[in-house]
Amino acid sequence: MTGADPFRGRRIVLAVLLMAGFAVVLGRLVHLQVLQAAELSVKADRQHQKSVTVEGNRGAIYDRRGKVLAMNMEVPSVFGVPASLENPSGTARDLARVLRVRADEIEKKLRQERNFVWIARKVDPEQGRRLERLSLEGIGTVMEGRRFYPKGPLLSHVLGFAGMDGQGLEGVERRYEPYLRGEKRNIVLQRDALGRTVFPKGLTEQGPSSGHNLTLTIDEIIQYIAEKELDDAVTAAQAKGGVVIVMEPKTGAVLAMAMTPRFDPNAVRGLVPDRWRNRVVTDAYEPGSTMKIFLAAAALEERAMKPTSMIYAENGQMTVAGTVIHDHDKSKWITFAQAIQRSSNVAAAKTAMVLGEERLFRYLRAFGFGERTEIDLPGEVAGLVKEPREWGRRTLASVAMGQEIGVTALQLATAVSAVANGGWLMRPYVVSEVRDGSGQLIAQVTPQVRRRPITAETAQTLGTILEGAVTAGTGSKAAVAGYRVAGKTGTAQKIDPETGAYSPALSVASFAGYVPAEDPRLTIVVIIDEPQGDAWGGVVAAPVFRRIAEQALPYLGVSSQDPIKLALAERAGIGMAP
Amino acid sequence: MRLLAGLGLIGLLLLFVWERVDIVRVGYHVERLKTRKIVLQREQDELRVKVSALTAPDRLARTATEKLGMVPPQPGQVILVNATDAVPAPGEPPLPEVRMAKSERYWKKP
Repeated sequence: MTGADPFRGRRIVLAVLLMAGFAVVLGRLVHLQVLQAAELSVKADRQHQKSVTVEGNRGAIYDRRGKVLAMNMEVPSVFGVPASLENPSGTARDLARVLRVRADEIEKKLRQERNFVWIARKVDPEQGRRLERLSLEGIGTVMEGRRFYPKGPLLSHVLGFAGMDGQGLEGVERRYEPYLRGEKRNIVLQRDALGRTVFPKGLTEQGPSSGHNLTLTIDEIIQYIAEKELDDAVTAAQAKGGVVIVMEPKTGAVLAMAMTPRFDPNAVRGLVPDRWRNRVVTDAYEPGSTMKIFLAAAALEERAMKPTSMIYAENGQMTVAGTVIHDHDKSKWITFAQAIQRSSNVAAAKTAMVLGEERLFRYLRAFGFGERTEIDLPGEVAGLVKEPREWGRRTLASVAMGQEIGVTALQLATAVSAVANGGWLMRPYVVSEVRDGSGQLIAQVTPQVRRRPITAETAQTLGTILEGAVTAGTGSKAAVAGYRVAGKTGTAQKIDPETGAYSPALSVASFAGYVPAEDPRLTIVVIIDEPQGDAWGGVVAAPVFRRIAEQALPYLGVSSQDPIKLALAERAGIGMAP
Repeated sequence: MRLLAGLGLIGLLLLFVWERVDIVRVGYHVERLKTRKIVLQREQDELRVKVSALTAPDRLARTATEKLGMVPPQPGQVILVNATDAVPAPGEPPLPEVRMAKSERYWKKP
């Protein structure tokens, strides 16, 4: 055997070819795994992982007894894929029946040359379920959070509302936006070959936490009573509108804040912003004779007057700086207490003159007029109390009667509460607690004293005078059988915007008081704007105070002075002096 | 000995494969449960909204007066004897936790 291998050359060629092949594969491997490793790894992640931004639910709002006033719910939004529709007009007709929208409007959307169109955002869950049953081709739904206000217009001005994107735009919704808003978090999900989600990339990854829940000081039942009685009074008096505030005088907690007309926060589209303005805090008005409460407080505190001090009421007419001041009654000599109870303008002007501009101004500011109450609601105004250097010759007398001064209904309620609680001016508030989704307490609001404008003795003396205003004065229609009521009426002429002078036809009727006078549980301020006919505060506003107190006091468990005697008297139809 | 080592190696490989498959299976199950939870949560929210709307005071009052012929109690018909307050009476200010506001600009007693 020569040993010559006839296949040697072929073997070498094969070996070289194989080695070349392996070299190519190896080279490609190095190229993919080393040189392009980072880039391809990113590409693979992009295909296997899906990153989604998820937002936690917006927090709920409850009343003081835990009743739901506002909460979020996931509802379907309906979209269409026009390119995949064979019969847009038929689909539009089916959709219109479920969504209660005009079919031609939907068809117009479905005939657009686009890949995606919204047909209806945030529809009712029932509509979503009906659509699901129809299973229309080219029509789909995605879930989105929608804000619901189950009580409709109840408390609408305080709650405010959240917009389409879930952001608080008015009221408590706006003021407490940072607390209510749910957390936004980016979550990475793993997807399989079919695009299904397997699980989050990190198994311990948590979803976003929902927003905090708020508990209000408002009581749903008292709010309802206040709104109903206000509506009835506004309708009966053919008035332009009105407001009611019910407050706990000892803490400043607002139990009810009612306004007429109201709006439904579930349907704010098309409403003008004026409709949802919370006029209790945004509008200042000339209060009229309710301001005599604070004139009296200043006079008593400064010992400028005693309840028994005699004042000559000029037979109901007096000229000040060329303007004639009138009284309803034509009295001659009356006591200071009677002057307040009968709401004598002449006596009020004389009392103010005894006090002087500086002292009266100082007390008005001490009671919180001319500055914000710092309530936790947006849009509050300070009202208008001019500095004494800006006062005219008639201003002192005017301010004593509640003219040439602008106050908000809330300022009035807070100041009356200060008289009721022994002289402490409290900061009013509507949110009492903030809790997270698991119920943990995040923040709690405690009553806050702003200052003490008068002593307890002055408050007590003034309270006795104000009780007289109800038992024997202009506020007799505010009397609540079985309870002692203290309060004051007010009837203020409004300035006619056309003439710039006080209008004989336009007025604001009000009543501000508290009950029970011996241990006040409720401060109630009622203001009726532009009532027609007999437009006195004692006629239009005082009965609203009574009707609210009559219902709210038993509801709160505040017993009357003599319940058995009162019940027997009522049953016998005798009636009982309040 | 070699056989045992081979079997052990194969066993380890099978365990590894089983573990990976089971992770994916549990992953799908977790996702199904999550979806179910979301559906139930939505249902609960919807019911809460409905309950809240149905117990709105104006609706209850309307139903009571118009459908059931009830009337609100008149003064004197509700008798509270030795009533205990449903809501704790607020404390007399100043409470220990009551804070004084800083701004005293306009309030200086003589």
